[in-house]
Amino acid sequence: MMLKPAVIARIVHKWLGLVIGLQILIWLATGLYMVVVDIDFIHGDPLVKNMQDKVEVPDEGPLSFASLRTKYPDASQIGLRPVMGRTFYTVITADKRYLLDVETGAVKSPLNEETAREIAKYHFAGQAPVINVTLITSSPPMEIQTRRLPLWRIDFDDRFATSFYIDPYNGSLATRRHQYWRIFDFMWMLHIMDYDERSDAHNLLLITAQVTGLTFAITGLWLLFYSFSGRRRNRKTVAR
Amino acid sequence: MMRLFKKLHKWIGLLMGLQVLLWLLSGLMISLLDPEKVSGKQWASTSVAESQTLGPVVLLEPAELPAGLLKDALGIDLTNRHGEPVYLVKRTGGETLVDATDGSIVVIDRARAEQLALNDFNGDGKIASIESGMAPERETRDSQGAYWRVEFSDRSNTSVYISASTGEILERRNSFWRVRDFFWMLHIMDYSGRENFNNPLIITVALIAVWLGISGFILLFGSFSRADFFFLNLLEKNTDVVITLIDPGVSNHQQVRLRKGSNLFLSLATHNVSLDSVCGGGGECGKCRVQFETTYLTEPNTIELGLIPKRLRERGYRLACQQIAEKDMTLHVPEGTLTPGR
Repeated sequence: MMLKPAVIARIVHKWLGLVIGLQILIWLATGLYMVVVDIDFIHGDPLVKNMQDKVEVPDEGPLSFASLRTKYPDASQIGLRPVMGRTFYTVITADKRYLLDVETGAVKSPLNEETAREIAKYHFAGQAPVINVTLITSSPPMEIQTRRLPLWRIDFDDRFATSFYIDPYNGSLATRRHQYWRIFDFMWMLHIMDYDERSDAHNLLLITAQVTGLTFAITGLWLLFYSFSGRRRNRKTVAR
Repeated sequence: MMRLFKKLHKWIGLLMGLQVLLWLLSGLMISLLDPEKVSGKQWASTSVAESQTLGPVVLLEPAELPAGLLKDALGIDLTNRHGEPVYLVKRTGGETLVDATDGSIVVIDRARAEQLALNDFNGDGKIASIESGMAPERETRDSQGAYWRVEFSDRSNTSVYISASTGEILERRNSFWRVRDFFWMLHIMDYSGRENFNNPLIITVALIAVWLGISGFILLFGSFSRADFFFLNLLEKNTDVVITLIDPGVSNHQQVRLRKGSNLFLSLATHNVSLDSVCGGGGECGKCRVQFETTYLTEPNTIELGLIPKRLRERGYRLACQQIAEKDMTLHVPEGTLTPGR
């Protein structure tokens, strides 16, 4: 049985289309979402404010860096950082972290729910009220998979379903998530076909699908070439 | 005017096809590359420096640091870097290291950068060159400020970028990363910066591609007939039809048994009856004309209306690729289609 190349290409293209067509459509649709929606918006840049607060270096107070080093002899890092516009001491030891008031020297960490809520509101650029505050200590949701726990999660009642994550041990806004970020993450998962971790583009399923898709596209282009040359010849015969 | 549109359509279609091919090819290349190699972690020293305690030595208080640095600091940390106690001062423009014993600004000089790079890199290569530069550039586009680029003579041409202000490893680049970056450029269609995938070009092309993808998906459903799935109803009997073929140049008729409901062109092709065709049965070239006995004739579809002149249609000509082997019938095929003496 000798089939013409064009016939073989058409049969291959048709059957591969059945196998890979839906995934190609998913690649195109998810890719479109990711290129159309501005990545800075996805990162939540327009949702935050007061992110460039300066620290005030204390002249005098109950504590100095030297006294903190005495108080925490195993400290590997001592610092100053702003929380809601006020400066605090931070201390990091091998296994613990602390936040201390510069004026009183009192240990403020771990921050309570009320403070976490205030910090979240301080950094939130929108107007919507807080609807939910939870302390996440274990089995974090996928959107903060790589972050250090515990974290306070503060949900806002805005149209983006914004969530702020506040670190109770240094008062920082650890990260922010919203509906379009979550959709983006889901799209990325579909795009790279890593349905568990959503991060590994070096997986066998994806590579197999890509090779199939590539064969599909090559036969498609080949057929496109045939269809062009076919039209031209046909026009000639009609003209004759 | 119509010729122009046709030409445009053809070339846009071809360009789109090529871009889809490039997306698939670049996507494949990106996934094939091992992320451990691309990130350079494969050849990076794995020993994580134990976080040293600050110890009891006498150090400066933050208030004793240069006032100019403190004025607009976003954060100040006393910590150990490269084995020495330092203040790390974070400002909008970047980070500065200050010696915590005397308040002098730490400078990462060439010799220091060389040592830091040697500590980090554990591949099999020696330092080939050390140069300074200013980020962001192509390979340092996620960083800012002055850097040292330490190039190694290993097989994957590793370059370790070290911040000239903090001594931090900014990037580890190598041939794997560079290959990936090239395909990434093709994938996101940002040919200058290679990082902005929200660019107008890719948005436009992606919109057209999605539209083509949807129409292709619809065409896909149309291209299958129930006979293509014969393996799903193997138990059903009498699913063949007999087609009698008449070639004016051959005295004997030829009969072929085709699966009922199959595409006439493709089915005949698989039974060694090769009708003339350029497009391979796509309804594009109009070459696979066959003449039906008028009793079997169905209404021509739009493809046949466009590709067969009226006088021939009225005489029973149709395109085999648009016809289904529905029942037993007789077909007149062009002279020379059948082999004489069979």
